[in-house]
Amino acid sequence: MYKFFLYTMLIILYLGLAKALSPSEIGIHYLQNERGFSKLISAPDSSVILVDTHATGFLIKTYYQKYRVISGYDTVEELIVRTSKEFAHKNLKNIGMSLYRKTPEKEEFLPLPPGSLYIGNREFGSWKKNKKGEYRWTFSKAYKNFPRYLGWGTFRPTEEFYRELRSKVALNEPFYGLHGEFGPQGKVTRENFPQFFKEERMKKVEMKSLLIEYFKENF
Amino acid sequence: MAEIFDRLMIRLLLALFVCLMIYLYRYAHVIFYPSVKRQVLKKINPAENPADSLHLFSRIVGIAIIFSSITFNETSGFFLSIFHFAVWGTLAIILYLLSLYIIESIVFYNFDYTDEILKRKNMSYAVISFCHAIVIAYLTRTVMIEAENSLVILLVLWLYMLVIVGFSVKYYTFISKLTFNRLLIQKNLSLCFSYGGFSLGAGLIIASCFDQEHYDITVYVIQVLLKTILSLIIFPIFKKGLVKIFPIKLGEDRALEGRIDTDMQSLGYGFYEGCVFIAGAILTTMIVNRIQFGTIYPFF
Repeated sequence: MYKFFLYTMLIILYLGLAKALSPSEIGIHYLQNERGFSKLISAPDSSVILVDTHATGFLIKTYYQKYRVISGYDTVEELIVRTSKEFAHKNLKNIGMSLYRKTPEKEEFLPLPPGSLYIGNREFGSWKKNKKGEYRWTFSKAYKNFPRYLGWGTFRPTEEFYRELRSKVALNEPFYGLHGEFGPQGKVTRENFPQFFKEERMKKVEMKSLLIEYFKENF
Repeated sequence: MAEIFDRLMIRLLLALFVCLMIYLYRYAHVIFYPSVKRQVLKKINPAENPADSLHLFSRIVGIAIIFSSITFNETSGFFLSIFHFAVWGTLAIILYLLSLYIIESIVFYNFDYTDEILKRKNMSYAVISFCHAIVIAYLTRTVMIEAENSLVILLVLWLYMLVIVGFSVKYYTFISKLTFNRLLIQKNLSLCFSYGGFSLGAGLIIASCFDQEHYDITVYVIQVLLKTILSLIIFPIFKKGLVKIFPIKLGEDRALEGRIDTDMQSLGYGFYEGCVFIAGAILTTMIVNRIQFGTIYPFF
């Protein structure tokens, strides 16, 4: 009994010390849910885009998410956080989407296409008429790199897109674009977040092919 | 040809210099064991006292192990490299003998070298001392390699290593069924093989805990501590597992307790415990050091 007690204490001591002192535990924030963004993001006019998600571990999984934090008046930053299982699973369908937006007046937690915060805001750009006669949102010169940061590629939102976006926000419903351009099934997201949609990451691993590959490599 | 001959000459001269350092060690040995002054400084007769021969020559093996960690850098000049070897070699001898003195003071706190080796010719004591010499040498060597020619780091790591070894030798009473002090008085060889296996195993584990890359001394010390605690968690699993897989029988069925005690003091039981300890320790180092968990960053 005495030895069992000592052994248990040793395990507790190891776990406690490893958690407190391990370099991998220091400097990485934990995000329980979307409300946790309020503490992590301080700059106003910021939009947080989910870029990648990953789970490590065999029996007990640890979930990580990678975000791109775009701020109107600051540099673009990458943020890697540990998250809860629920939050990680919930947001698998929100890759490439903006999960959090912060303005001096309010905070938004609804999954929306990236850059929703800046569309319609005259400080960042304006509606410009193209050759087809459609009005599309164009960022001003100071923010010319924003479409790249936001993962838009050649996509530029129309006025209709903006109207639909505002109505979905009013209804508190997520919005994935007029034709579902955003999100894991969306064309724009799949083109502009290739890291997540890499073929080798998407394919399911079969035991048979795994073993064949192993024997080919090693013998 | 001239260059090859020159290199051969350098090697021969350095070999002679190492012999000179070992000669110096002979006198250093007397500082810690003044009672052997007469034996050490004159010709040694190994047949006269095998225990003493083993005791003395185990130190020579230890010194050789430590010296193997020091490198000659001939590009910085022959005399400078010899000076470097002399400084670090002297330091190694001092640290090694000091470590041995401290550890043996902990383990043999009830015993005296003069009584056990010179008068009683206790082979069990000599074998345990031999294992200490090898283990401490191996650990001092590891610490010297990790210190990377920094004297401050060497002293910090050496002290740290001593603390861990000091605690580890006390761990023997927890995991062995043999009574150390009683059996050592009886010159029992079962004890020396069991304890020898234990100390060599503990040395392997501690050396593997110290053997890792380091950029920052604080992080390094923390990692060593964590690995040591992890080894303490893993080792009993292997020890218990090996005992369950290869169960042993002590005495006949319904035997008297005294019979079981006699069997435990047999040479076979000593081999059994010693081998279980070494095998458990080697497997523990594998679990602690050889599992690569990777990192999340390549995925991101």
